[in-house]
Amino acid sequence: MSTVFLYALVGVVLFSLGLYALIVHAHLLRKILAINVMGSGVFLVLVALAKRTGEDTPDPVPHAMVITGIVVAVSATALALTLMLKLTAETGNAELPEDSRE
Amino acid sequence: MLQWALDALLGLGLLWLAWCALMSPNLLKAIVLFVAFGLLMALAWVRLDAPDIALAEAAIGAGLTGALLLAALARLRFAYADEETVGSPAQEEAKVRFPQWLPAVPLLLVVAGLGYVVLSLPPYATGLSTEVTANLESSGVSNPVTAVLLNFRGYDTLLELVVLLVALLGVWSLDGLALGRETAPGPVLDTLSRFLTPVFILVAAYLLWVGAHAPGGAFQAGSVLGAAGVLLLLAGWRFRAGLTELPLRLVLVAGPGAFVIVALVTMLMEGQLLEYSPEQASILILFLETTATFSIGATLAALFFGGRPQDDKEHT
Amino acid sequence: MGTVITKIPWGVLLILLPLMGGMACFLWPRIAKILGLVLTFVGVLSVVGLGWQIMSNGVYHHAVGGWGAPLGINLYADGLSLLMLAITALVGFGISVYSSGYFERQHSTRFWPLWLLVLAALNALFLSNDIFNLYVTLEVMGLAAVALAALTGSRDALSGAMRYLLANLLGSLSYLFGVALLYHGFGSVDITTLAVQVKGSPTTWAALGLIGAGLVLKTALFPLHFWLPPAHASAPAPVSALLSALVVKASFYILLRLWLEIFGPLGGDVDTLFGVLGAVAVLWGSLQALRQTRLKLLVAYSTVAQIGYLFLAFPLAMSAGVMAWNAAVYLALSHALAKAAMFLATGNMLRFGGHDRIADLDRVVQRLPLTATAFALAGVSIMGLPPSGGFIGKWLLLEVALAQGQWGLVVIIVLGGLLAAGYVFKVLGQAFTQAAVMHESRAVPASMEWAALLLAFGAILLGFLATPVLSLVGIGSPFGAHEVMP
Repeated sequence: MSTVFLYALVGVVLFSLGLYALIVHAHLLRKILAINVMGSGVFLVLVALAKRTGEDTPDPVPHAMVITGIVVAVSATALALTLMLKLTAETGNAELPEDSRE
Repeated sequence: MLQWALDALLGLGLLWLAWCALMSPNLLKAIVLFVAFGLLMALAWVRLDAPDIALAEAAIGAGLTGALLLAALARLRFAYADEETVGSPAQEEAKVRFPQWLPAVPLLLVVAGLGYVVLSLPPYATGLSTEVTANLESSGVSNPVTAVLLNFRGYDTLLELVVLLVALLGVWSLDGLALGRETAPGPVLDTLSRFLTPVFILVAAYLLWVGAHAPGGAFQAGSVLGAAGVLLLLAGWRFRAGLTELPLRLVLVAGPGAFVIVALVTMLMEGQLLEYSPEQASILILFLETTATFSIGATLAALFFGGRPQDDKEHT
Repeated sequence: MGTVITKIPWGVLLILLPLMGGMACFLWPRIAKILGLVLTFVGVLSVVGLGWQIMSNGVYHHAVGGWGAPLGINLYADGLSLLMLAITALVGFGISVYSSGYFERQHSTRFWPLWLLVLAALNALFLSNDIFNLYVTLEVMGLAAVALAALTGSRDALSGAMRYLLANLLGSLSYLFGVALLYHGFGSVDITTLAVQVKGSPTTWAALGLIGAGLVLKTALFPLHFWLPPAHASAPAPVSALLSALVVKASFYILLRLWLEIFGPLGGDVDTLFGVLGAVAVLWGSLQALRQTRLKLLVAYSTVAQIGYLFLAFPLAMSAGVMAWNAAVYLALSHALAKAAMFLATGNMLRFGGHDRIADLDRVVQRLPLTATAFALAGVSIMGLPPSGGFIGKWLLLEVALAQGQWGLVVIIVLGGLLAAGYVFKVLGQAFTQAAVMHESRAVPASMEWAALLLAFGAILLGFLATPVLSLVGIGSPFGAHEVMP
């Protein structure tokens, strides 16, 4: 197995680890961390598999996509953290209310 | 063989750090581990011949995201300072809602399925690299990643700058808690910021310039600029009151704004959106990257700051 | 005259104008409202221009950067995209008119830039022919929609928006993973190229699973609808209208487009799964709507039910492609108009009465006749009574189900309509009871009442436009050319 597939598999596991943490954790900061780890997993899959060109230079298109993805991730993280802080200021708790429906 | 062992070690290290960051009982520790994870990711990008991403990851993924997370945690704990129960480690502990193994079972199936799929892909595939190489000559730059970002798929990059702007609009419309000045920065931070800011600006300028033919470009340069902004903000530096209104907003909009204008003008000249004539491509890309660098830097620093800058004036 | 209209690149303007408008609103908040109104109206004109272009020249192509697929990004508009753009422009204009009266100064400066950027993202999404570009448009739309949903800053709005954001991000990452697999499996992110390249393989099925799950989560199909009612019910009225009428349709559109071009022809049993989930969504959403005591939650659960209907078309399309898809598109269009009208009308009642407890709405309903009419007309379309767009959509769906002997689906379609009648009359019934309690009342500007009413009229009017609308959607034969139009 070449290193390409090694890193791609690590990406798959990171995605799933993040998903697991997103499901089991209640604290919003942990959920936000989990989303970021999931994102890193997807990026790793994208870039690792771009190395299969058989030459020295990998396929640059996924690289550009991942740079886009990193910027999107930091934007989303900033918005999520602000929402979390505002919600905590309102409820006194950095978790989602169990069920806000009446 | 040694190479292989290095990659295997790096992969395992990534998984272990991610697991520890996600499962650490202490939130501060979790964030620190997450930053370490980001730095290790940067190393993985280098191993995967993706130096452009390594730079972006180190600056944004680990650096700025880490700063955002730490600032959020500090504000979270600060908000609880008067109450006893909340904010104590007990409340921050990794609380789980149902048996931890329950979601693990389907997720193991997901890992197995996706792992199988990834391994089933052919060992060789050129993707679009041949097309990129064939057209690199007329793209205006010689770094293929920059060519994809600013020329071949420049439209994505335009929308990506809009994503950044939207995030800031969202943070501002939420009345995010602006970074306070509760604590004096102290002489170390003060000196550090005075010394590092010019260095950061030089690094940013270098990354911007070099992006045309080597790893670097607007996003890396912009995030270094943003890091300089974060450092200055931490050292207690603030905008002069008069500058926080329109001038600041103009800097924030400059990147996507210049992109849209170039898109319209090129469409009028050449017929298609963002179609650069080969002679003008490099100068247009440099222009777009320069405005984008300033906007990205300013936006990232503003995201770190949190609330609208003018709020600061009112509160202090 | 005609040549000028056909030369202007309307499709591109539909993206760039609201984009520039959003930035201008951010720079100069004082002119935000007027600029927003003007630009959403120009949006309606641009769609007319694009429609003219498409009808005279055929489908719209634009190779961004001049590269063309697979290296560059292509914009593409056929009848299906055109109708989605048209409904976005119409509902968008209604929302703009309503919002000009709804928001006070502080919220107004925050609303307009985000709203115009959502509009730009929606238009960009309906025009894109590139699955990675679609990811970026989804992110612009999603983050701006979350920020708008949290606008009031109340406890419910914040928790609703937080849940919405997490669901959105999870959906996007799942979608992006699917995109990664498709790119590495078949070497392109252009939909037309992929349509030729993609073959049934483990990669394809995994990509379908990831993309499908991500988009189904964003579209809020049962059982992944948990985030929708709190987010849609706690947002400001024009934002609720935007989210329920347009934003959930955007992710549905991507799913439909990818299904038609890439995944559908490969077979598999996913369409049955979509049908079953859709059927459960119709029943579950309607029953939950009936149970609600707050009007906004009732309307939000009704969206969960109506989204279910859209997915009933998948199993039916196996042997009656064009007709089943026509039904789904018709339902999506009329739901956009009717649900926008319903949420706007609800906003009027909420402002007038200061609350949205259904049991105490009697006086509100009786004192706002235009708003009550808007709610009733929108209700007619949601129930699927003639004459209305909802009726045409459900009728088409029913016809296909009957022709195929799918009795289960027939029962679901009819039962869903009866349940919808139940929750609509639960509200309207208040108009016929004796108003006893006096409530505090706050004036509702005429623009807000008329915006709701005209959108509701639109949903009714759609009931008379079946022939032109169905011939429009056939341009470029998005549903495949192998079948004759009914």
